[in-house]
Amino acid sequence: MTDAVVRDPGPARPPPSYGGGAQAEGGSRSSSLTATVLIGPATIFIALCLLAPLAILLRYSLNDFEPSRKMMVEAVTVANYVKFFTDPYYTTILGTTVRIAVTVTLACLIIGFPLAYVVARSQSRFKHLLIIAIVLPLFVGNAVRAAGWMVVFGSKGFFNSTLLDLGLIAQPFEIMFTEKAVIIGIIAVNLPFMVLSLQSVIEGIDRAVEEAAFSLGAPPLTMFRRVLWPLALPGILAGTILCFILAMNAYATPFLLGGPLFKMMAPVIYNEFTQKTNWPFGGAIAFILMAVTLSLTIAANILLQRRAAR
Amino acid sequence: MAFRINRRTALTGVAALAAFPAAAQDKKVIVGTWGGDYSRLLTKNITPLVKGFEVVHSEEQADPRKAKMMAEKVLRRGTSDVQGLSANDMYEMDQQGLVEQLDYSKMPNAVNLIPSMKYAYGIGHIYSGKVVLYNPDMMKAPEGFADTLDPKHGNKLGIIDIQRQYNMVAAALASGGSVSNFEPGKERLIACRKAGARIYPSNEAFAQALKTGEIACGIMWKARAVQWQNAGIKVETVAPKEGVPMYVSGFVMPKNAPSKEGGYAWLNAMMAASAQENFAIDMGYNPTVTNAKVAPDLQKRIGFSDEEKKRLVDLDYGYMGKNDVAFQDWWNKSFKA
Repeated sequence: MTDAVVRDPGPARPPPSYGGGAQAEGGSRSSSLTATVLIGPATIFIALCLLAPLAILLRYSLNDFEPSRKMMVEAVTVANYVKFFTDPYYTTILGTTVRIAVTVTLACLIIGFPLAYVVARSQSRFKHLLIIAIVLPLFVGNAVRAAGWMVVFGSKGFFNSTLLDLGLIAQPFEIMFTEKAVIIGIIAVNLPFMVLSLQSVIEGIDRAVEEAAFSLGAPPLTMFRRVLWPLALPGILAGTILCFILAMNAYATPFLLGGPLFKMMAPVIYNEFTQKTNWPFGGAIAFILMAVTLSLTIAANILLQRRAAR
Repeated sequence: MAFRINRRTALTGVAALAAFPAAAQDKKVIVGTWGGDYSRLLTKNITPLVKGFEVVHSEEQADPRKAKMMAEKVLRRGTSDVQGLSANDMYEMDQQGLVEQLDYSKMPNAVNLIPSMKYAYGIGHIYSGKVVLYNPDMMKAPEGFADTLDPKHGNKLGIIDIQRQYNMVAAALASGGSVSNFEPGKERLIACRKAGARIYPSNEAFAQALKTGEIACGIMWKARAVQWQNAGIKVETVAPKEGVPMYVSGFVMPKNAPSKEGGYAWLNAMMAASAQENFAIDMGYNPTVTNAKVAPDLQKRIGFSDEEKKRLVDLDYGYMGKNDVAFQDWWNKSFKA
């Protein structure tokens, strides 16, 4: 049974030496049919539920908008894209979003790596409980988690009340409705994704290679830089990409913890669609956010891989 | 006993199966509404009066529900039978050609409706007025909007973000503008903001700030002040001398409502005297029907004196609708910058 699972039945297998070309062609046809059947449902789902709406949204983003009647007007114009890049209000929001996403991703990597390493190397019989503890926050929705943070961060919330009662501060800290609150909130949401990505990769790295580095006289930092980091790079890439994308598109946390004065891209897109009913401009901002996220992700990916190759 | 399934019985079965969900759906009435207290009180005070229909609430803020109505414009059957909106939003949806012109003969309770609450495209459910709220322990009673939306209060002035339109009306009235000209109020709002006025994302966050003493004053509907007083928050109200902008919350029926019969049944129940009386008790809003009996002490708290009634001003919905996008841009880019 195990053998059947491990054996690769795909096209990479050398063609049989008997039976001639017709049989080989039949086998190849059958395997491509199997592949079609296997990828078909997912492809159809993606095409219908992602690509088709995206295509419609792209078309909308090229339309005009009549503000006094709040009506979309059929047109083919790039005015919405030009408006975004020429209005400092929107470019500042894009800058803030990128800055927050980078900060959160770095913080998740720095906090998450040691945790993932400990979990991966743990021999404890309670290891599965550790993993469940990491995954547990994902059982609660973002909005509910943000509501919890609101209770903690308020001027008379848990955090400030405790510090005030202990006499450590005279005035409560302003955390709620600030950038700090948003960063802490998004880190809490994204950290499990980073830890899980790293832990699965670190677990696959043989402990012997670390010990070999130590036995050759490498101090811990050198071992980390020369051995662990390069070998864990696939997990680091997966984790950072996941974290970065989630942070760039964060909605509930900035909306609830950032308050009315703090702006990130996703709440602004929602505002354009629902409050102003400006679907063309909302569509344009959505595509700009998607393009920026994709470009930065690809750029970071290439950069990291090049550095690792050196 | 053997069952024989022939073509006819099979077709009958399929037809029955197909008809069942449609029939079940037609006996439902879908009510688009805000969530929280408002939805809870609709369930408590109106749902029991709707006979023959199962009432289902679709809860969301007004803006997403408006966006949904627009998105569903092309559909033959929409997804809601009635939608709760402010008078301003009801007007806007009518201007967009999205709502049914109501047939009042289908709603017997409508004979008691106050004439000003009877729109061709919607019905006023409750009304209140925008007043000044202040904590008497922290400051003396302001005289009106100008005295409240004043930089002298620094960070003790609270402004609710989602009350943008009413904040702009109040600032306009305080600065020589009118319900049809918000421009004069902009400078006042910016000055308050620069002086440290706090901006809250929701009515509830504003109430919390009043409760903790983070702020001393602000502007809000009188009905909410009554509700917060009932919750133990130290807050008093003043009907502003510059005028009391009216807030009307009502219901419209989308043109493509799947069950218009259900929609009319719900709207009729909404105008029942008992439902309106209970809303006055529970939420502090004034009834919109003449046969609702409100206890004198409650009337004194939620209503307005004859002198104050003279200062009630209805909004210019046409002006607000036409300039809404521009005002939102100003609010986001200049006021909240």
